[in-house]
Amino acid sequence: MRFVLTKIGLLLLTLWAAVTLNFLLPRLMPGSPADAALAKLAQNGPVSPATKAAIEAQLGVPTGSMFDQYLQYLGNVATFDFGVSYTFFPQPVAGLVAAALPWTLVLVGLVTIIAFIFGTLLGVLAAWKRGTWLDTLPTVGGTFASAFPYFWTALLLLFFLGYVAGWFPTSGAYGRGTTPEFSAAFLLDAIYHAILPATTILITSLGGWILGMRSTMINTLGDDYVTFAEANGLKPRTVAIRYAARNAILPNLTSFGLALGGVVGGSLLVERVFAYPGVGYLLYTAVTNQDFPLMQALFLIITISVLLANFIVDILYGILDPRTRR
Amino acid sequence: MTLTDKSPDQKPATDVAGPAHPLGVLWRAVTTIWSVPKARIGVVMLGVFVLGALFAPLIAPYSPTNNDFGRSEDMTAAHLLGTTAAGQDVLSQVIYGARVSVFVGFIAGLFSTIIAVLIGLSWGYLRNKTADVINFIVNLFLVIPALPLMIVIAAYLQNGGIGMIILVVVITGWAWGARVLRSQTQSLRSRDFVTAAIFSGESSGRIVFREILPNMTSLIVGSFFGAATAAILAEAGLSFLGLGDSTTISWGTMLFWAQNSNALLTGQWILLFAPGLCISLLATSLSLINFGVDGLSNPRLREGAKR
Amino acid sequence: MSATDTEAPAATLLSVQNLSVVYEPTGGEPVHAVSGATFDLGRGDFVGLVGESGSGKSTLGFALTGLSKPPARVGGGSILFNGVDIAGMSSEDLRVQRQGGFAMVLQSGMNALNPVRSIRNHFYDIFAAHGHIGRGEREARAIELVGKVELPAGVLDRFSGELSGGMRQRVSIALALSLEPQLMIFDEPTTALDVLVQHAVMNTIRELQKSEGFTAVLISHDLGMVLEVTERVMVMHNGLIVEDRPAADVLASPQHPYTRMLLSHYGDPRAEIVEVPGLAARGPKRAPEVSHLKTDFVPVSAEARARAAGTEGVQRREGRAAREAIVVSNVSKIYPPPRRGEKPVRAVNDVSFTLEPGASMALVGASGSGKSTIAKMITGVEHPTSGTITFGDLQVDRIKRRSLKRLHTEVQMVFQDPYSALNPLHTVEYTLTRPIVNFSKLRGRDARRRMLELLETVGLTPVEQFAARLPHQLSGGQRQRVVIARALASDPQVIIADEPVSMLDVSLRAGVLALLDSLRETWGVSMLYITHDLLSARLVTDQIMVLNQGAVVEEGATASVLQNPRDEYTIRLLDAIPHPTTPTPEHN
Repeated sequence: MRFVLTKIGLLLLTLWAAVTLNFLLPRLMPGSPADAALAKLAQNGPVSPATKAAIEAQLGVPTGSMFDQYLQYLGNVATFDFGVSYTFFPQPVAGLVAAALPWTLVLVGLVTIIAFIFGTLLGVLAAWKRGTWLDTLPTVGGTFASAFPYFWTALLLLFFLGYVAGWFPTSGAYGRGTTPEFSAAFLLDAIYHAILPATTILITSLGGWILGMRSTMINTLGDDYVTFAEANGLKPRTVAIRYAARNAILPNLTSFGLALGGVVGGSLLVERVFAYPGVGYLLYTAVTNQDFPLMQALFLIITISVLLANFIVDILYGILDPRTRR
Repeated sequence: MTLTDKSPDQKPATDVAGPAHPLGVLWRAVTTIWSVPKARIGVVMLGVFVLGALFAPLIAPYSPTNNDFGRSEDMTAAHLLGTTAAGQDVLSQVIYGARVSVFVGFIAGLFSTIIAVLIGLSWGYLRNKTADVINFIVNLFLVIPALPLMIVIAAYLQNGGIGMIILVVVITGWAWGARVLRSQTQSLRSRDFVTAAIFSGESSGRIVFREILPNMTSLIVGSFFGAATAAILAEAGLSFLGLGDSTTISWGTMLFWAQNSNALLTGQWILLFAPGLCISLLATSLSLINFGVDGLSNPRLREGAKR
Repeated sequence: MSATDTEAPAATLLSVQNLSVVYEPTGGEPVHAVSGATFDLGRGDFVGLVGESGSGKSTLGFALTGLSKPPARVGGGSILFNGVDIAGMSSEDLRVQRQGGFAMVLQSGMNALNPVRSIRNHFYDIFAAHGHIGRGEREARAIELVGKVELPAGVLDRFSGELSGGMRQRVSIALALSLEPQLMIFDEPTTALDVLVQHAVMNTIRELQKSEGFTAVLISHDLGMVLEVTERVMVMHNGLIVEDRPAADVLASPQHPYTRMLLSHYGDPRAEIVEVPGLAARGPKRAPEVSHLKTDFVPVSAEARARAAGTEGVQRREGRAAREAIVVSNVSKIYPPPRRGEKPVRAVNDVSFTLEPGASMALVGASGSGKSTIAKMITGVEHPTSGTITFGDLQVDRIKRRSLKRLHTEVQMVFQDPYSALNPLHTVEYTLTRPIVNFSKLRGRDARRRMLELLETVGLTPVEQFAARLPHQLSGGQRQRVVIARALASDPQVIIADEPVSMLDVSLRAGVLALLDSLRETWGVSMLYITHDLLSARLVTDQIMVLNQGAVVEEGATASVLQNPRDEYTIRLLDAIPHPTTPTPEHN
């Protein structure tokens, strides 16, 4: 299938660009982040030559040509060698990221998909029942909720439901004293801890999906094929779902892919508020400690995740739209 | 202008701009937005914030940095919203905080929009390989998560203050507008009146700025408000993480200090509630105004007033 | 409606009494789009509903099939279908009625199909909604239905994006047929289609109506086509049915002045003498000057003609009649394949001709025949793949962007769509002043005076008033006059007119054509007139070239080519024209 091949090619190109951006960022900045990082690291004890080389490759030290540095950097990325964190010295960055990533993927990924599906359904309903309370309520509510900063919604929920009411735990992804394991008890505990952060992301991102789907659906409702379907006496439900909504979902999928970055960004702040041990909280820790190797690696992994998610959305689009299959 | 047959020379012939005075167009633009109820609410809300920001020294009861008061006081007549853990008046801080948000929103929104217009228009008007390259770059900026990128840049730039935040917001915020304006430019450039302008001997610059651009007014205004909203939320987020200059009084830094001083534990909910609500209301007001900008490209705005 | 009428005679399928449809735009004044419509349709009737844009004919069609949507609303009266009033019916009752009741084929058949649903599923949706075809018979019935509209069974697996315009409209007709309706309403079913395809689709509709025996209403702006196809014609004007009589009677003795006016604009391009109000055919057998001008448009005022001929700013035109010819030699244009793996598109294939100074030549062909591509190459907008085009000393085929301005001083263009050719935000004055400033040394007052002269030349008076207008304050015909004035602003030698009247109502066409014609006489410009409409070609040109798939198949003097066509394609084009005045044999 040519469509998939084109998309894979584009994905590889975008991945390369993201990796290169990650290489250029510290080098474009004033001052030398690498020197700062090495100085900071030296406080923890002697720096091994291997660590030094890795950090220099990552953050750029004026040794060797830019091109040599670039090649070495690419090599490091390909082998997941992101150097050593000095916040959590001497743990390697790769291990820290690998430990944090699943928490974020499950929390943010799952909630975003749920929010998109739920918001889309509400948007369909709002457009179909235009002018009734089924339209007004989600539209007005969505407009306000989507203007809330993620971290503020998080703070409010944390304060009122966590501290004041005491219904939910106020930090972490699982109870203190337990260790992650595959057991029903731990799973329930993890879900219990995830409810507040998940609700935050749901509330704040839902509005955008509702409004987006509503407006595209209102457009498709005016299309000729909808009028013709009505003229042919199709059942209203068929017209709404298989004709109007089915076409309206397509542009919305594209905006879903593009809005994903924003949702992920907001979720990072939510993790910070709830001290949820995902990549967002780790990024916050890295930034406040000027742990550049960790920070760079996290940025790269977040970007790559979003790029991959976009790729999946693109493929899904291709499956849903027969016009791209030709 | 009265329409008399005898006087082809009465009107200054150099004036070919249109029948309506530019100020008249502006006035009708405002009334167009005003005529949409949702947008009207937005305009009023935004007006309150802008006035609050402009006249903060007159309205605020105390200086926002004055820390002579009791620490973490509750709401009293002297301190309507209480005091912070550092002994500053919360109400005064909230009022002064509007300045940063309004300023960042306006400036970052403006610069993002200018970049978006320049790139969107040229990208939409060009039909060569350059367009493919721009396409790739814009898509890259669209899919790269903006906030993490901002956080990374801000971390390297170390306490750069408002200027740094604006820079970071603009770098990451122009792509969406550019994309929207590009597709509109493409659809307009295939219209006959653009081809006709080439036949009228117009230069490319004039075609882009006099023929195409005015037809996109509502999109441009819309992307300004969109970019401003994003900028306000981004500033709040970065300040909340402590990545801005944490001595500036802004709603984001208020939340930063509130969280750091454990306002959650002491039960001083107003410290969380007030600045966050202001951010939300300001962002909401811009979204509401955006409901009213659709009519701005309508030619009826340019009709002569005395018809 | 009174109770006495409720028992409609069995021969009457539809009885419409005093029906009115109101448009209630939000924030605007309500408008009566249809008022007091009263008529009966007998079983098996084939009735035409004719009117120009805005006459209310489509609004009436939507009301008859219970499809009026806000802001339109049935304001009063009754629609008795088989004796039951459907005007006040609940939407679910109405929905159920559609099977075995009434169906509609929309104007924009191109977009009437769901792009993400296969054609097969379109049929199955209808069968499922009404349950009139059992599960086991669905496939066979769908194949039978597409067969009726002369499509192969294979289209069932396709999506609308993979079908041509004509095929999509046929699928729409088959879908409407699948309801087994007693009444079919066709709303401009062929308007968006190519001339030859139009003809074929219309034949299919006609045959289906005979074989299936449904009652049909054909809504169209084209009185000629309706007279040719239907037995009875209703003419609508400003929301009123002004004429409702058998087609033969309408043709023989139209009663209403509006009908007479519409009818007067038809003619047979093959006739010895062709004339429509305000215009008479040129050419070897030129008719004597016609004196009767019945259109509401006086094409060009006598005063303006006099002005254009010799006074004031136009004086410099003297001795400056077109001097240079456009010479097109062996020009081909090949576009890269639309998709990978397909063949490149040969839009224009080895075309040669010369447009002599002061000549008027028609370039005729169906869409896709390459005629617009030729226009683009002559005006330097596109470059030919091979061959040369010269204008005077200008090598047009490889002209650079810099020299374009020089070319456009002499070669100008009139666009097809007057609604898209004017920037909605610029006044007429701005639009006309720009080329004057760009191409001449006139500035300030002089430029303005020249702008007003141009308005007068194209008959837009009082000029001051029109100069201040914005495009949305002009009618379609007035816009097209502004477009023509703009083309004249550079004082060109050649005007390329690309289907200049095809988007206009019939009654406005003659005026614009007469204007173009008179420019040639008074200004001495050469004209390349691009069209698919042979009648207008006959009226305003001396020479003609017929294009088929990028190649010239026939050329010569317009009158003789049209009277004695030799090429089979030309003959087919001529046959596709509806001739109300000469009914085709199959009709009787």
